[in-house]
Amino acid sequence: MSSWLEVFEPKLSTDPEHLDCLVATGDWTFKNANVLLALLAKPYAKITIVDARSIHSLDATGSQLLLTLLKKSGLDESQLKVKSEHQALLSSVLAASNPLPKPIQRLPFFKRILESIGKWVVNGYQNTLILLSFLGQTLLCFISNAFRPSHWRVTSIVFHMQAVGLNAVPLVMLLSFMVGAVVAFLGATVLAEFGAEVWVVELVGVSFLREFGVLLTAILLAGRTASAFTAQIGSMKSGEELDAIKTMGLDPIELLVLPRIKALVLTMPLLSFLATMAGLLGGLAVCTITLDISPDMYFQRLNTELSPRHFWIGLSKAPIFAVVIGIIGCLEGFKVKNNAQSVGEHTTSSVVQSISLVILLDALAAMFYMELDL
Amino acid sequence: MSEAHHNVIEVSNLSNRFGQFIVHDHLDLQVRKGEIIGVVGGSGSGKSVLMRSILALNKPSQGKINVLGFNALSHTAKERQFIEQNTGVLFQNGALFSSLSVLENVLVPLKEHSDLSEQLMTELAMVKIQLAGLAPEAALKLPAELSGGMRKRAGIARALALDPALLFLDEPTAGLDPISAAAFDQLILTIQKALHLTVFLITHDLDTLYTICDRVAVIADRKVLINAPIDEVAAFDHPWIREYFHGPRGRAAQAAQEKL
Repeated sequence: MSSWLEVFEPKLSTDPEHLDCLVATGDWTFKNANVLLALLAKPYAKITIVDARSIHSLDATGSQLLLTLLKKSGLDESQLKVKSEHQALLSSVLAASNPLPKPIQRLPFFKRILESIGKWVVNGYQNTLILLSFLGQTLLCFISNAFRPSHWRVTSIVFHMQAVGLNAVPLVMLLSFMVGAVVAFLGATVLAEFGAEVWVVELVGVSFLREFGVLLTAILLAGRTASAFTAQIGSMKSGEELDAIKTMGLDPIELLVLPRIKALVLTMPLLSFLATMAGLLGGLAVCTITLDISPDMYFQRLNTELSPRHFWIGLSKAPIFAVVIGIIGCLEGFKVKNNAQSVGEHTTSSVVQSISLVILLDALAAMFYMELDL
Repeated sequence: MSEAHHNVIEVSNLSNRFGQFIVHDHLDLQVRKGEIIGVVGGSGSGKSVLMRSILALNKPSQGKINVLGFNALSHTAKERQFIEQNTGVLFQNGALFSSLSVLENVLVPLKEHSDLSEQLMTELAMVKIQLAGLAPEAALKLPAELSGGMRKRAGIARALALDPALLFLDEPTAGLDPISAAAFDQLILTIQKALHLTVFLITHDLDTLYTICDRVAVIADRKVLINAPIDEVAAFDHPWIREYFHGPRGRAAQAAQEKL
């Protein structure tokens, strides 16, 4: 049996010869804290001396509890006898036993609610200003960068195009295919009541060319890419890499933000195109399998009934969504503070903001094009 | 009691290799109860790997490690838990939980390993925070609001939370100014004396070695070359040791020690 496991049961008893003397024995250690607490809770007769000389081993927890015992009995440290080897510890603990300072008084409940609403409003206002100013900074940087081809950082752009675009192709296409199939199914069910199943082709065509192709891509990239940008830039910030970039006379926006946004703007239309195609294929699959519309007829109807403007309207939104996702992803990264929780908060916030803004802008664009009769 | 029981840490025949790269080759090390042992060695000599092996954060390729009389490499929950509850670790940068205040950081091990009342745990945590040399006001601050030296003190307070018998310190004075470093050396010494700790200390700091270490273990050539009081180590004949102790910095630290 190892000597490390030997434990001496702590005891506290009145000295039979001196009734005003309390004798402490055994191990007064953290492991015995519960036993010690029970001992301390018992009532003791009037005592004037605590004799702790027979304590076997004593640690900081035991010392603190000895001091608690003294305080409870109304004694001071001079009335405590300890072994000389425990004296240093007791003095250190005594010097270190100041209580926790009172935290700042909390406001009453309704005031706290008012306060948090106020903070929320002010934060919203400030964050909007910050977002707009960051957009402005990035645009200025883009313009000045456009005239200096040596600063275009092509390698970085290509790297991000692979990470953001190429690697996302399977996911984007698979999900679009399935949504296309679902739209076709829904359309078929509703249109069958009017005997107009064949219009499913137009339904899938218009919805994917105009809206879903680009919107699905944008939502997926907001979840996949905006969060990645935030985490990358955020961890660079907490590692002081951003400060290093600045002190070397480099511009973090030119170095980190522009290549990412350029990569997004270049790949997003391509991804949207692939998503649209996958959605149309999903519709085609459902049409052929369940609706007796042959592939020939499907493509023929697409060609004759749909004008290409739907496709261009859909695609026109892709670069705008790309900028929104890129700007928010990068900006949230710059806002990260030096702790683990902050990285999580800002990553969440970047995904939530970019998805909501993308959907909001899409709704505005839909109304805009409708008013233009396009 | 046999001699073995006085050794808090017993490392024997330890080998560590990462791929082709051999860090330790049949390394032996004994740490006695109640001593402060300083582990030194060049960068990349495997000091941290040795500490991580003893703490079971890194599985060695070969060898035996005993901590507090238990097999540190065993996987039985009881043995691991005994070792974990009786060792405190200060990592190089403090490794404080960045989203918790200093007080909450110290409370984490207490809450996990005991069922004491909230009030008593706070009281005990406050003792540890002040033992580590922090003002009571610092308890409510977040790690990001503290200076490097204060963060290390908070790290020590958390390491001491469970009143461990064994304390591991990874480069405690690295990154501190000389005055804070000297104060930190004294703090380690005070705590070690008061709490009768065994301290395993990795350092590059010659002043720390001369001021507080009872013995110094030198890791070079994948082994512990010598593990002895500092004067014997300084006199040992090995190129790395000669350069370390008798280079300009070594001489300055030695001279400073002789003046004391």
